[in-house]
Amino acid sequence: MYIGIDVGGTFTDAVLIDKDRVISKTKFPTVHDNLLLSLLEALDRVTDQVDNSLIERVVISTTLITNLIVQNKYEPVALVLEPGPGLNPRDYPFKEDTFIIDGAIDYRGRQIIPLDKRQLDLTISEIKKKGYRKAAIVGKFSGRNNAHEIEVGNIFNRAGIITELGHKVSGRLNFLRRAATTMLTVATRDEHVKFVDTVNKAFRDRQITAPIFILKADGGTLSLEDSKKAPVETVFSGPAASTLGAMALSPEGEDTVVMDIGGTTTDLALILSGKPVLASKGATVKGYYTSITSYAVRSVPVGGDTAVAVKGNDIDLLYERKGPAYCFGGPYPTPTDALLVLGYYSHGNVEAAKEGLVKLAEPLGCDVKTVAQKILDKFSQSITGAIEDMFLSWEQEPAYRVWELLHPTQIRPQNIIGVGGAAPGITQAVARLINCTPVIPEHAEVANAIGAAVAQPTLKATLRIDTGEGLYTVEENGNQGSVSKFSSFREEDAVRLAKEQLLKMADDLHVPVDTGSVEVTHSEVFNVIRGFTTTGRIYHVTVQTPRKILTRLYKQGGQDA
Amino acid sequence: MKKTGLVFFPAFDWAISPTHPEREERLLYTRDQIFEEGLMDLPQITEYKPRLATKKDVARTHFCVPNVAGQTTEAHLIAAGGALVIADALMKGEIHNGFAMVRPPGHHAMRVVHGNRGFCNINNEAIMVDYLRHKYGIKKVAIIDTDVHHGDGTQDIFYHDPDVLFISFHQDGRTLYPGSGFTNEAGGPAAYGTTLNVPLPPGTTDEGIHYVLDNLILPVLNEFQPEIIINSAGQDNHYTDPLANMKVSAQGYAQLNQKLAPDIAVLEGGYAIETALPYVNTGIILAMAGLDYSHVIEPDYNKNQLVQSPEKTERIKETVEELLAVWKQRNKIELGVLAHKSDFYQRQKTIFYDTDYIHENQVEKVRLCYDCAGYITIMSQAFHHNDRRSKVFCVAIPFNACQRCYNDAHNDYMNAVRSEAYDYVYLQNKAEDVYRIFTNVGTKKLEEF
Repeated sequence: MYIGIDVGGTFTDAVLIDKDRVISKTKFPTVHDNLLLSLLEALDRVTDQVDNSLIERVVISTTLITNLIVQNKYEPVALVLEPGPGLNPRDYPFKEDTFIIDGAIDYRGRQIIPLDKRQLDLTISEIKKKGYRKAAIVGKFSGRNNAHEIEVGNIFNRAGIITELGHKVSGRLNFLRRAATTMLTVATRDEHVKFVDTVNKAFRDRQITAPIFILKADGGTLSLEDSKKAPVETVFSGPAASTLGAMALSPEGEDTVVMDIGGTTTDLALILSGKPVLASKGATVKGYYTSITSYAVRSVPVGGDTAVAVKGNDIDLLYERKGPAYCFGGPYPTPTDALLVLGYYSHGNVEAAKEGLVKLAEPLGCDVKTVAQKILDKFSQSITGAIEDMFLSWEQEPAYRVWELLHPTQIRPQNIIGVGGAAPGITQAVARLINCTPVIPEHAEVANAIGAAVAQPTLKATLRIDTGEGLYTVEENGNQGSVSKFSSFREEDAVRLAKEQLLKMADDLHVPVDTGSVEVTHSEVFNVIRGFTTTGRIYHVTVQTPRKILTRLYKQGGQDA
Repeated sequence: MKKTGLVFFPAFDWAISPTHPEREERLLYTRDQIFEEGLMDLPQITEYKPRLATKKDVARTHFCVPNVAGQTTEAHLIAAGGALVIADALMKGEIHNGFAMVRPPGHHAMRVVHGNRGFCNINNEAIMVDYLRHKYGIKKVAIIDTDVHHGDGTQDIFYHDPDVLFISFHQDGRTLYPGSGFTNEAGGPAAYGTTLNVPLPPGTTDEGIHYVLDNLILPVLNEFQPEIIINSAGQDNHYTDPLANMKVSAQGYAQLNQKLAPDIAVLEGGYAIETALPYVNTGIILAMAGLDYSHVIEPDYNKNQLVQSPEKTERIKETVEELLAVWKQRNKIELGVLAHKSDFYQRQKTIFYDTDYIHENQVEKVRLCYDCAGYITIMSQAFHHNDRRSKVFCVAIPFNACQRCYNDAHNDYMNAVRSEAYDYVYLQNKAEDVYRIFTNVGTKKLEEF
């Protein structure tokens, strides 16, 4: 049996799944200053009827790290950057104390300016004088050669400063995103470690011996223990959970829009050919772009509790919450009231909802049902607009190859799946507007927890192999090593090396990998020509384990509306 | 804040041939530098996806023999389309300036295209200018060609157009391909002085380039008052370029773009793919976005090695003086005097296609017209290395054609079709945006679009 727990901003949801059936589910308000308590309460509720020894695995999605960052609950970190030639560091977006050091590595991983040891000593004393205990050390092109970062890190560690190095956080090109992510990693690690240890203890106390995982923003999982290495990867796991949940509850392999309707916002995500679409820019945390991969999610500022008022000869959404819906004793009529009046929703007081809508109907000279329909239409239109935008911007993603431009993908969804309390009526209305099939599954109200329960580890190794320099680097973990220079190295050697690195990564993260299922998802080769002679080759190879979910609940638990 | 628009199209799957300078690897290190730099994330910058230019976009500028498809790969259409995307973004007011960092390049492609010259088949800037004029009614355009090679293709296309100011500075044609671009090439009789060529001695430095910019280009631009300024942004004046002999640095290029403040820059040549392009491109992008570029410095940069001899400085000054004199006299050429001698201005050209090894002979005639830019006819014969020959006749009607030119151009076209003396006869009717190809080879047929 699998457990999924999503400690969300408003509710904490949990489900217990056996094969492809939901055995029990729960939903209750998150206690904000005690996320652990919320998590354990949810756990206890879904497991109270079962023998804990039957639990095979637990996956948790939590806003812990997001909250720490948003609320500034972390110890300040000194940012130590080695920019080399390029943008003036003065124009960097960082508000943190930034210390610039000399030295530079270029795009092929060659040292172009050596480190200055004396300057490093001065930097360390300045950092200490300012009272910092922790530093993020990030060099431009450290993903191509980590020697400088490692050396600086060693010197800092010997001086008693706690460090994190950029290349360990991400080897993908983008110095500023890497710097922000490294800073957030070192900033949140202590709190996250504390959380992990407490969770582990609480589970042991309940005799739950199943492995515990934590959900990442890209929908993959990390073992709770390994998440200590990369705490910030767990930000934004909420939207990932709801997308995965929708995936488990919707038709396999199709193009689906996921619509998670909350009180004040509606989050949209896309599943294309059965796979969630990833954001092209890294997740934005505190206004900084990061190197954290996340799903492409768009938030529309309308939800079940959005206040509605008369404006001119029509009604208008106010794009803010003025309190609960009228049917729950609130001050303004809302889409939830409209849904209740139209029979799409079954909680709250219908009479109160009608009373609220009359306030809108009277000045417009129409009846309550007409107003309710108008509200639903407005709501649907604002969501439809955002869905169109999402597809357009997805089609507008830059392309760097002729092939990509000649094979443009123009996709419009087949399904729209609605999760969240107000989903049924709105999903049908939006589906009509964009001409696709509405899917309103059973268990939609705990889709997030289902998403966590079915999430799987995904492993990816992206190698850049430069046979001219005799060097390879792995983007995901910053590993680097040497290869024999040009002569005999071929594309199949590149793929083999990439697979080896993937397996090594799997070993480090304790993820079992079926070697036969590892696939090459990207491969390109550039001849390095100097003069008119080929002096090497640059390979970019990506191998990954298939992105799958543990189980699907669509046929069994879901149903078409 | 309006942003700087970027189209980055490195064509990572296209090359002229595996070891050719114009190959997949060319913008690889530039990609690495600008992505690692995070330039696309900066609030001052926005990235656009390129599109394919249409057959019509190309035919508006070129006579492609036998047709557009015969002279272009998809990569060419995307490079030209990348420039059009930037042009649209600018005209819609989405950006305040933009850089189409595309390959393959285009500035050696002339009006008639029999093959590839200097790595170019179609002229990205020229196609963009004709598009801007057709779609947005832009009239006065200035193109500053900062590539180390003479922009002979762009010059050819706008040679008779008084509303397009074309200024090219480049390494002296006696020492570098394509061997043209001397001060006496100053525009046709109706457009005299709106083509200015600045041949520079090998070894010219930042100082030399900026002398030309400050003393010739900027004052001339100020007088010409174009609606749009385009930088035909070749980067091979760099001191490490393997195909040329100049001594310009990334700083020199960045400063040039800051002072010139082009509305649109389109990448041309530049073949020092590791030592120059990552730094020069970063410098240009930062300069166009109004950001500080003073930290963009090549690893081996040494100011003391990039010094220009006093003799060279003197020669550059003399060239600038000469060109300023041409510029000042531009309105003194009396069209009437020339027209009195003959209704048409005629020139003969021989053109060599270095990449494709083609010799071309042309007779170009321009109607000297008081009422419009005058229509153009070109009789062109190409001799390919495999003994293949083709003989074509081209008629170009300008955007603002007067009735007399319009009628006479049509007559010339019909006469050529009837004469059966040509393999292909082309009509480029820019006034109505209609393009025709009449094929005499095999089954006679007419294509119109």
